[in-house]
Amino acid sequence: MADYIESISEAVLKYDVELVKKLVPEAVESGVDPILIMNEGLSNAIIEIGDKFGREEIFLVELMIAAEACMGGVDIVKKIILEKKVDAVKPKGVIVIGTVEGDIHNIGKDIVKTLLEAAGFEVHDIGVDQRAQNFVKKAIEVNAKIVASSALLTTTSPNQKAIEVELKEAGIRDKVKTIIGGAATNADWSREIGSDYYASTATDGVKIIKKYFEDVGK
Amino acid sequence: MKAKLEVLSKDELDTIYQTALKILEKIGVSIEDEEIIKLLEKNGCKAGSNKIVYFPEKVIDRCLKSTPNRKGETTLCGRDPLKDVVMGDDQKYPYVISHVLMNYFEGLTDTYRTITKEDIRKFVTISDYLDTIDGIWMCTLMPDFKEMYTYCEYELAVRSTTKPVCVSSFEPSAIPPVYDLAAALAGGEEELKKRPLTVAFCEISPLTWNKYGCAMLKATARWGIQPVITVETPMGDTGPATFAGNIAQKIAELLSGLVIVQLLKEGLPVFFVVPLEVFDMRTAQICLASRGDYVWACAVGQLEDYLGIPIISPISPDSKLLDMQEAYELSFSLIPRILGGNKATVIHGLDQTHAINNELLLLMDEMMISVRRMLEGIDVNEETLAFNVLEEVAGKIENDRRSGHFLNQRHTLNWYVREHRPRRDAVIDKYRREKWIENGSKSFVERAHEKILEILKNHKPEPLSKEIESTINAIHKKYNIPDL
Repeated sequence: MADYIESISEAVLKYDVELVKKLVPEAVESGVDPILIMNEGLSNAIIEIGDKFGREEIFLVELMIAAEACMGGVDIVKKIILEKKVDAVKPKGVIVIGTVEGDIHNIGKDIVKTLLEAAGFEVHDIGVDQRAQNFVKKAIEVNAKIVASSALLTTTSPNQKAIEVELKEAGIRDKVKTIIGGAATNADWSREIGSDYYASTATDGVKIIKKYFEDVGK
Repeated sequence: MKAKLEVLSKDELDTIYQTALKILEKIGVSIEDEEIIKLLEKNGCKAGSNKIVYFPEKVIDRCLKSTPNRKGETTLCGRDPLKDVVMGDDQKYPYVISHVLMNYFEGLTDTYRTITKEDIRKFVTISDYLDTIDGIWMCTLMPDFKEMYTYCEYELAVRSTTKPVCVSSFEPSAIPPVYDLAAALAGGEEELKKRPLTVAFCEISPLTWNKYGCAMLKATARWGIQPVITVETPMGDTGPATFAGNIAQKIAELLSGLVIVQLLKEGLPVFFVVPLEVFDMRTAQICLASRGDYVWACAVGQLEDYLGIPIISPISPDSKLLDMQEAYELSFSLIPRILGGNKATVIHGLDQTHAINNELLLLMDEMMISVRRMLEGIDVNEETLAFNVLEEVAGKIENDRRSGHFLNQRHTLNWYVREHRPRRDAVIDKYRREKWIENGSKSFVERAHEKILEILKNHKPEPLSKEIESTINAIHKKYNIPDL
């Protein structure tokens, strides 16, 4: 059993997407607990990869492919859990993410999304060029705890303020935390509009969100 | 231009171009505008599902033929026609355009702050003064200007220079007042048709004209503005990590824009702005000044010659300070571009296209004088071979020793300045150490700052006429724009 967990971790750490897809069903067939595969095989590996990227030991492309390998395994485990009616794994947290209205930049947002999903969070990506109301609507719909918005242009960053306003008007501002990022933003802007967190890079954003849910869970 | 760096063979250029055509025909371009899709279909393109349009070679060929500046001259018009930038095979030197950005970096104190209107006035005034800067590009996106930033930037710039001013814009709604001012500066709408306004906007890679880009395409056609199609395909991000594939994708994206422009308004001149960005996998940042850019810099001149349309290729150091990294990135970005025959470049300041600095303009000025000289190469003729003068100098004998030198030779007087382009007011330090200490032990930035103060004190850009001022007042009233 331990061998399978280790092999799955190793496959993620070696960026071997296909091997992860092969090993996960094999492990389940051999009687390994799917929850254990998720938490110890896949999740630990992606945390290790994330730390390596944080220490600048690996490049982003390696991080992203490892995340893809991990997500491939997670999808299989989820399917098996549904089929076998095993108690579902509770996501570590629910996040709504998107790029604000007028802005079509998606890369930073997509990195945050991929890494959060690979780390076991439930991420609802509403896409690019999204009105403030759409962030709020989705947050209410999925009971999100964090609303993350990206703005790459100084002309579109005011739409992050609009999200703050809309959350207040919808009466859920005290129920969610907001985090902003993107080239047009900085800590001053975050303070000015009243967002809870500012991330200067995609990976910082992931760290902040992870820490928030860890602290809340304590 | 004598010196010429070539890194691609004719066959390699053909192969890259053919791949670009294949991309347009087989992969197609996503176009988020029904009207433009219909126009493309009507003209021989095929529209598939998901708003993807496929471009056959014959449509591209036809549109290239109707692009009037192709294999001819492309002009960026200034307030003063004598200051026009005329890109073409006969230009004497590569043009340099300074770029105004959203932040200002104070070189003496290493302070970083949001740009102000006064910063813009000063930066443009210095650019107007320097002979090696041929035009100004505006893209500050200043939130203070609200929804009329394109107009506000344009007005601020044309007030401080008679050189060409180009603007990047994401707001079609701001084009009418810019058009009104440009028409007034040109001497009327008919004159503006001959001396058009130049506006840049972006296609989105990979292979997408989104609704904002489509709106700008239509606005330029509607107003007869010379469009500058910008494509950005960061290597490893929204474009392949390999040079050949990345360049093929760039060409495909550029040609898709050119086709739409020609179909919207046949005969409109068009040219390109193409940075080479590398997605830095260590820091997850899009970087313009990278080893990848230096390779692209070698090739861009060849590519624009191949296409017959100028490709302005931006330079943008990633350094956050006026330090060794800044100088390294600026030099390595600039020199291969110029040696490779790139017709014009836009130089951003520092911090990954986010900040400008006045002192840096003087470093660019110094570098441009050097690279222009490099391009001229070495003249070999009887006069420059200097045999006769050497014979004369070597012939002077005192006490059985050769005692001649070249310092007192007319040949030196005639040729020193022509060959070396020295400057009496050089900011670059060439003194002995003792003299440098005596002069205050100043750094380049300190010396450049003093020179900047002198320029700003003495150089007064040509003011706008009373007629233009009253047009500006009318524009402000009509479009509800506060005085700048």
